[in-house]
Amino acid sequence: MTKSNGRRRVVITGHGVVTPLGTGVEKFWSGLKAGNVGIREVESFPTEDLYITIAGEVPDFDPKVHLKSRSLMLADKYSQYAGCAAAEAVEMSKMETPISDKEAYKSACVIGSGVGGLTTLEFSYKMLFQENKRATHPLTLLKAIGSSASAHVSIEYGIKGPTYGLVSACSTASHSIGNVYRMIREGLVDFGIGGAAEASLNWGATRAWQAMRVLSPDGLFPFSKNRNGTVLAEGAGILLLEEYEHAKERGAPILAELKGYGMTADAADMVNPSIDGASAAMEMALADSELSPSDIDYINAHGTATAVNDLNETRAIKRVFGNAANNVSISSTKSMHGHCLGAGGGIEAVAAIKAIGENYVPPTAGLTDPDPECDLDYTPLQGKDREVNYAMSNSFAFGGLNAVLVFGPPPA
Amino acid sequence: MDDVADKIIEILRKNMKDPSKTVTLDTPLSELEIESLDLAVIVFDIEDTFGIEIPYNANEEVEAFATVGSVVDRVKSIMAETKSSGAAA
Repeated sequence: MTKSNGRRRVVITGHGVVTPLGTGVEKFWSGLKAGNVGIREVESFPTEDLYITIAGEVPDFDPKVHLKSRSLMLADKYSQYAGCAAAEAVEMSKMETPISDKEAYKSACVIGSGVGGLTTLEFSYKMLFQENKRATHPLTLLKAIGSSASAHVSIEYGIKGPTYGLVSACSTASHSIGNVYRMIREGLVDFGIGGAAEASLNWGATRAWQAMRVLSPDGLFPFSKNRNGTVLAEGAGILLLEEYEHAKERGAPILAELKGYGMTADAADMVNPSIDGASAAMEMALADSELSPSDIDYINAHGTATAVNDLNETRAIKRVFGNAANNVSISSTKSMHGHCLGAGGGIEAVAAIKAIGENYVPPTAGLTDPDPECDLDYTPLQGKDREVNYAMSNSFAFGGLNAVLVFGPPPA
Repeated sequence: MDDVADKIIEILRKNMKDPSKTVTLDTPLSELEIESLDLAVIVFDIEDTFGIEIPYNANEEVEAFATVGSVVDRVKSIMAETKSSGAAA
């Protein structure tokens, strides 16, 4: 069944995650439903001379258990997270791999990252400048560059069509997913892997973030009166996107449909978001989905718990949704998995897809005392059963880079 | 005005949209057209110049940054604390 305008439809036939709530969609979703918070005292690097000592670290990732490819074993953690999440998505989709010769060039792989192999870079600079090693490890460059994850995954599955990394800070994953979606719609490819990974929790990066003064030493409390900043986290969120007829023909399990995608830039400020950019992106996504605001049952908010984002996002939602803003359930799952930076949009897309699949809205954890100016239904503390047909996922990144995805149920 | 105030005003000027504006101790920072990231840069410059650490969170209202004079006072009190505790900045 194609849309009335003859447009190809794009469905999700697999997804995978690595998150501070655990590795794998099942653990992740159970954690969200239970309102668990994956933000803890940092364990993976020393924090003595830092004043930010909390983060959302992935607690259970073991390359030996979670990866099959030898080359990924030698890669930066960001690529490893991507590889693991991609493996879960591909397995779930029951796609036969390696991709057949007939289809290889009609498949894509766009896996982005905010900073790629930053931790490899930090280690390598330490070796060079501090310890005067005669050379860096030969794989250093390959581990560090932001295209590695995509390349690794393409090699793993024999994807020979458009393959590259994509960068847009906290909107990276959403833009990557949208990018593959557009390629499928255009007929350039029939399916593809889209999403992002981030593994930038290290001492140097924390120092750099501290200097921006936007992190909270206490926790991530979106839409709260006393919210005082965001908390860094890591992980990967990957979708397998597929053209609908292609998926139907091979009897693939269909989890959801990607109905629409909106992308805008604020063209305003490097850190402070603007209401215009955010609302235009939501409107664009709705128009692309051919839906109206009142059709949206759930919004997975960007909700970073900074003073500026949560207020700006509330105002933008009100502007776009009008009266319908009072009927939509909203939550920021960052309250539970932290701010996964480049990977955030991918992890949050999976949360939106699960919400549709299970008719359940995950909560905003820690929302005991809402900001009176953030007075929409942010699903405080406790998730709820609600029929979720259409879900929107917002990402509003530094530099005013906005990406909004709208998901719907599997086509009838 | 004293040396500390002079240095701070110089740092502010470097980061102002219009450096030729008059700046006194009573001038509110908001009048200097300094936005969040500029403030982080100013604080960084001040920390570097005086060898101190100024704790602040951009998500919270910070009284210490209401006027130029309040910034000078805050810097002076941190310098005194740092000196008296003998801690390296």
